[in-house]
Order: sequence, then structure tokens, then C-alpha cells
Amino acid sequence: MGFTAVIADDEPLLRANLRTRLAKLWPELAVVHEMENGRGIEEVIAAHEPDLFFLDIHMPGVNGLEAARAVAGRAHVVFVTAFDQYAVEAFERGAIDYVLKPFNEERLGVTVERLRERLEMKPASVDALVEQLAGRLGARPAEHLRWIKASVGSNVRLIPVEEVLFFQSDEKYTRVVTCDSEVLIRKPIKELLDELDPAKFWQIHRATIVNVDHIASVRRGLKDQAEIALRDNRETLVVSRAFTHLFKQM
Amino acid sequence: MKSYLHLLEGLTVQRVLWVTAICAAATATVIWLFLNTYFDLFVTALCVGYTSMLMFTVAGNIRQTRMPREAMQVLAVVVGSVLGTIFAGFVKGRDISQMFTERLAGVAISMGLGIGFGCIIVAAMILREKHARDQARIAKAEAERHQLEKNVLEAQLQLMQAQVEPHFLFNTLANVQHLVETDAASATRVLESLIQYLRAALPQMREGATNLGREVDMARAFLEIHRVRMGSRLAFDIEVPDDLKCRAFPPMMLISLVENAIKHGVDPCCESGMITIRAREDEGRLRVSVTDTGEGVKPKQGGGVGLTNIRERLKALYGSSARLVMEENAPRGVVASIEVPATS
Repeated sequence: MGFTAVIADDEPLLRANLRTRLAKLWPELAVVHEMENGRGIEEVIAAHEPDLFFLDIHMPGVNGLEAARAVAGRAHVVFVTAFDQYAVEAFERGAIDYVLKPFNEERLGVTVERLRERLEMKPASVDALVEQLAGRLGARPAEHLRWIKASVGSNVRLIPVEEVLFFQSDEKYTRVVTCDSEVLIRKPIKELLDELDPAKFWQIHRATIVNVDHIASVRRGLKDQAEIALRDNRETLVVSRAFTHLFKQM
Repeated sequence: MKSYLHLLEGLTVQRVLWVTAICAAATATVIWLFLNTYFDLFVTALCVGYTSMLMFTVAGNIRQTRMPREAMQVLAVVVGSVLGTIFAGFVKGRDISQMFTERLAGVAISMGLGIGFGCIIVAAMILREKHARDQARIAKAEAERHQLEKNVLEAQLQLMQAQVEPHFLFNTLANVQHLVETDAASATRVLESLIQYLRAALPQMREGATNLGREVDMARAFLEIHRVRMGSRLAFDIEVPDDLKCRAFPPMMLISLVENAIKHGVDPCCESGMITIRAREDEGRLRVSVTDTGEGVKPKQGGGVGLTNIRERLKALYGSSARLVMEENAPRGVVASIEVPATS
């Protein structure tokens, strides 16, 4: 009996390319469906019950690795990638099938041969490999606030948080100071504190959060407080007593 | 108590020895004015000197803004001389009440001398501190200059290392591979765009100086390639007046913005997107912008290292007279613009 396959790639020409080549090398294989990314893979499995998935690793939306995880051993998976050294190494070690773009007819022939034999067997689990790759490719970085949106005139300015020297509450607004600009936002210090990366942004006062990357020096100030001098800015920031422990010598 | 220790900062053994030496010298200088023995006068001088030194040190370390630090220190010496003279009276077991009656003249002289010497010493110290501060400022300026030079070098290095992404290259070739068999004319067009792009993007092929026209051509080639890849999902437009094409513009920045607009703007959103490159000159400033109608920034998703690199390179090349501004586009997407001083 003939086998069925689904191709997932965000580029229409490359789907067509793979389809044509497969038709030549493996006429009995029916490509029953094509996808732009891994979105809706459950429905595709339910509707077509394919034996085989060709998954491009880099796809916007749901990528190849996430799609493979969703397949979860219900079909064989062949990864397709244009270039990814880590991925290729991992595939070699894990003896998982993969195809490199642009396709080499001979190499694709080897994959097809291998697949013909394997399709009779139960699909191997790709979970371990996918986990490993997801880690290597840095699939999900920590969810911290990366952009500040601030109204400037009729525009909305987008400021990457790395550019921010400090945040300071100013009655009902929060001042956002960068080395070449200053804007006001409505988000209060307390909320910012929850969303910013705590490794980079330290609260030093009830009303102030500083970007530690931009600190030039810290010195003792009045009473039990400390003062922070910044690079690229003349303002000094006060560290209140409750937060001076952050700067105690190690 | 511990929290007041910083008031004594700078009270070093060296300072104490200096004051002792100065007191000995001062005593020797003025001994002929007094009937006292050298030792007796020296004790007085030490009392006045140490008290003034203590007051001077504390005055220099008090953090206040009401009066200048130098004025505080002079005042400290005056008060210190008065207190020190009284203290000397105690030390020598004299009757304090007498000090302000029959012995007032002698006391006044020793106070006056204390104040006089003290002020000279304070003036000397202030000059020395000022000198040290100037030195520190010079050293800091020097360090900043070094840092800037380092930044320029790093920026150049980054530029040299800015490679053509292998993923992009192989993907494009895979497209060409298919087009060669199905649509030879398109295949040729993509290859031409790729060649043009590589000519500009490969470090070995890159010429030193570049202008806006060349950067725009490169961006166009890059967009052409992506249009083939993404089909109907990508459209683009370039609105750059011819007379601005000869303006100097740093290399690889425009392409970086375009790449961002595709990668973080149009690519992630599955419908079609439009990318527009615009340039205009305004009051001696050249403003080049890339607008996309894509997904827009998500507050919690980074914009890649490309933007940081651009900022660093702009700073290294132009200091504070150039900038990169990111804004939301209406109704959706992002406008990224680079502003540099206009020079041809």
C-alpha cells in the first residue's frame, strides 16, 4: 500500500521543490497536505492520518520542533533545514532523518530508502532530541519586559529596555530616562519591577529602578544612603537605606 | 556610631605627622614673640593643630549643600584654633577663667597664629586637592577617549564579522534550485539579486566608504530575494530621492533594519506585509527610515542584537549627533529610523 506524507514549510517554492523531487524519487508516496507552519497540526493528523511529516525547522508561528513535539510519535518525522550546524550534529547522533536545503538528489535518495524501510515500523520518539534542540536553539528565552512604549507627541516611541538608564516615579507618571531622551509613561514602578529582568534592573529606592549596566560608580551619601553616578548622564540617584545592602562589598 | 566613621575619612597617619611637623616649625618660627619655653609653646601649637585638623577633616566629610566645602573648612580651622587654645589651657592645667582676663593677649596671639597658619595650610590643601581632582578629571577624560577608540574599533570589527547568514544563503539557493526547473526567468532574477547582495554584504567584497544609494541598492536586492521566498506575503516600496543617494551613510545599518522588519515584523504575522524605505534631509540631518506593517513589537520579545549594534556603531561614529529611533507605525507595525548629520 502507498504511504502518505505532509510537508510543512513557510516558503511555497520550497514546498513545491520538495514535492517535485519526492514525486520523482518515490512515486508511491502521496503528499496529502501542505502547511505553512506547524499551526493546526492536530487537525491535519486527525483528517489525514499521514505516515510521515517533512517539517522545516525554522517556520514563523509554530516551528518544526514544536510541531514534532505535537506529532508525538503518531507519525514519522523528517526534519528539513537550510543550515543549522547544531541540528545536523544532533540528527547524526540521534539517527533521525533530516534533509538539507538545497536538496541533493543523491542524499534525498538515501533518506527515501531509509524511510521506505522504517515506515513499516513504529515511529521512533523524537522527544529527547527535540528537547535538546529546543534548548540549543534557545527557543524560549525568559519572559521579561523588553520594550517600553511611550507616547511622544502623536507617536508611540519604542524604547528597548537596554537603553533605559533608570525609571523614576514622578507623581502619577514614571520617568523613563535614556542617554539621549526622557519620556513619561503611566506604568507605575511597582508594575515595572514585576516585569523587568531582575538581574539587570534593581530597585534602589521606593521611587527608582536603575539599570545596573549603566552604573558608573556608587558612593556613600547622606545618613545611611548611597549615591549612584551613571554613565552618560549627570543625574545622581539616591539609594535609600533599605536597598544599600545591594551594593555592600562582596 | 559606626555610621559617623566616614566623617574621619582622610585622617591618615601621614596627615597627623604633617600637622605635627608643621606645629614644630611654626613654634620655632614664632618662639621669639613669646616668653614661654619651646616645649610649652609646642604643646599649645599641637593642641591647636590637632583640634583644627580634626575639625577640618570632619568639615570636609560632612555632606551638606548649604555652603561650599572650602568655606566650611576655613570655618573649621577658626573654630578649631579657638577650641584648641582652650584645650591647651586644660592640658597645661591653667585656670581657664584667667585665659579670658589677664592672659587674654597671649591667648589671642596663639589663637590668631593658629588661625593664620591654619588658613595657609587649608589653602595649600585645597590647592592640592584641586590639583588631584584635575588630575583625576584628566585621567577620566583619557579613559573615556580610550573607551571611545575601543568602541570604534569594536564597531569596525563587528562590521567585518557581519556575515551573510548561511541560513539565508542556502534557503535562497534552494529557491533558485526549484525556479531553475520551473521558471528560469525568475531564477535568473533571484540570482542577480543574490549576486548584488553578496557583493555588498560579503566583508571581503565591501568597499570602505559607502553612500546611501549603495546601501539602498543592497536593501532592494535583499528585499527582492525575500519577495521570491515569501511570495505574496511581502511587498515593498523605496522612496529615496535621487539627490540623497550620494550622501554618506554608514554601511550595513539599513540592511539590518530591513532584516529586522522582515524577521520580527512581516515574517511572524501570517498575512501580507509592506516594507517602505524612506529618506529625507531636514536641516542638515539625513533621516532614513524603514517602515513595516507587520506584527509590531511585543513588549516581552527582544529586537535582536542588530539594533544594539546599530546604536553602538552610531555612537562610535558620530557621538551624540546621530540616533536610532523606533516608533509604532499606524495602524500596525514599526518605524525604525536612523538620523545622521548630512554629509556628502
